[in-house]
Amino acid sequence: MRSVEEYVKVRKRRFFTVTFTLLSLLITLALIHVSVGSSTENPFKIMSEAISEILHGYPGIASYRVMRLTASLLGGMALALSGLLIQTASRNPLGDPYLLGISSGALFGVVLTFALPLIPLYTLVLRPIAAFIGGVLAYLLTLAIASKAGMTTTSLVLAGVAVGTTLYSASLLPQYLIIQNIHQLFAWSQGSFVDPEPLGETMIFLSLVISLLILYKFVDVMNALNISDDFVRELGEDPAMLRKLLTLIASLIASLTVAWYGIIGFVGLASPHVSRRLIKSGDVRFVLPPALIFGSLMTVAADAVGKSIIYPVEIPVNIIVSLVGGPALATILMGLKHETRG
Amino acid sequence: MKLEVKRLSVDYGAVKALRNIDLELGEGVTVLIGPNGAGKSTLLKALACIVPYKGSVVFNNHEISSLHPSERMKLITYIPPYVPALPDITIGDLLLVDTSMDRSRLNYYVNFLDLNHLLERRIWEVSSGELERALIARGLSRNSAIYEVDEPLAHTDIRYQVRVLKELRELAWREGKIVLIASNQLNPIMNFADYVIALRGGELFFTGPAKEFLKEKIIAKLYGIKVKLLKEGPYVDILPIA
Repeated sequence: MRSVEEYVKVRKRRFFTVTFTLLSLLITLALIHVSVGSSTENPFKIMSEAISEILHGYPGIASYRVMRLTASLLGGMALALSGLLIQTASRNPLGDPYLLGISSGALFGVVLTFALPLIPLYTLVLRPIAAFIGGVLAYLLTLAIASKAGMTTTSLVLAGVAVGTTLYSASLLPQYLIIQNIHQLFAWSQGSFVDPEPLGETMIFLSLVISLLILYKFVDVMNALNISDDFVRELGEDPAMLRKLLTLIASLIASLTVAWYGIIGFVGLASPHVSRRLIKSGDVRFVLPPALIFGSLMTVAADAVGKSIIYPVEIPVNIIVSLVGGPALATILMGLKHETRG
Repeated sequence: MKLEVKRLSVDYGAVKALRNIDLELGEGVTVLIGPNGAGKSTLLKALACIVPYKGSVVFNNHEISSLHPSERMKLITYIPPYVPALPDITIGDLLLVDTSMDRSRLNYYVNFLDLNHLLERRIWEVSSGELERALIARGLSRNSAIYEVDEPLAHTDIRYQVRVLKELRELAWREGKIVLIASNQLNPIMNFADYVIALRGGELFFTGPAKEFLKEKIIAKLYGIKVKLLKEGPYVDILPIA
């Protein structure tokens, strides 16, 4: 680099290249996603059929496929945003709603509602609320344990694993005791877009739009928070309040995805990380769009593979995503070797 | 131009970090010293409103805590010695975090402190000295009336120490800036001091021209050890006696 001006230009150019490339990949994958299933179809035919099905009010296979694609697009985006917010709030590259126990807490909350004798309509409303309460409480518990353990990167993640595994097992157990249809429920808790509820999609879409509108105002402060609390205070903002706001939004979005699509790990962890590495910058303005696209890329790809590779058996999204996410986590960990340096 | 500090106190919970500090800061280089825990960084942060204070800090008839943050940032810049950033943040991100930054001034200081080749490096891929240079470049690029530099000599090598101190002196003498440098390294910083503020245990120990401070008895009393002053021409070295 010869100057700051050149750095700024290169960063902008790289941002557009990365965003355009990821977007083209996502569009290609989305077309593959709608074309595979019980039979392989022309994706454009499916889309036009879906539109006419929806217009005439007779939902069929085509509109189901499009709804399912929308669910996986939104799910990935929501998880990526949630991960990015947690990473910023905790200033920790290992921030992820799954890794920090939020997703398992949300799952536990939802499973509790299954035990209640409610009519289905109430369940639809209660589900996201229970997920949110479960998710936030689990995250608070993780934070409490981590702060007793010194609040380092490692203690935060280990506290999250402790809370997460406990609540995850606690959510699986009643499924065996109470629910008859274990196979389907287990598949849901392992992350699945099999059942794309329009209500769920609307809620996740709205929560994404509202969160992004709120965050737009906070971009500069988030960039400051990525560097130092003092930089935030200098801008006249309170870093503790900002952290609370960001984690609240992150928990809300992650819990909503759990309520409708079950647990999908690693998307929140990997998406912001990959985005920062590709554009070689940590500036939230540049990191956010590629991170959201990459989140969708992960879930759409995983769902396309999951629904077609051994049709008619559905492989849960989480299983496929974790096959890629586990090694990604390992790579990030190895990149953190400098942390021990004073 | 004058910064007037009256009855300034800062508490961190039960810990009284600063008690009833009265000061006047004018143009020139003021060096802030004192034993560990004396309250040097706290004083710098309080004046920049990064930590809340009791008492008053007035600049040009304005209480600085009542100014809008963007106004205050034009007035006063605190330069930290270190930041606990997310590892993927690059030196470029750090330098450009203030979107209102004067780019030509930033370019000047990036060249001045040889940071061009580090712009794309992640913060954890640079040395502590390189990070410190980046923080100094970012701070000086803000064209503010007051610069507060916290430990600029902690990690930088002697080339950059002298380069930074000379530049700060230039800014003070030529552009009329108020420069306040906190440091534990009496050598070489005392050679650049016009005034000295010394803190001890959260209280003011000394304030006045550097010449009056540079006496073996005063320095010995401040740190509780014997020292010898070595003078050669205009230069002075403070030698602790083991």
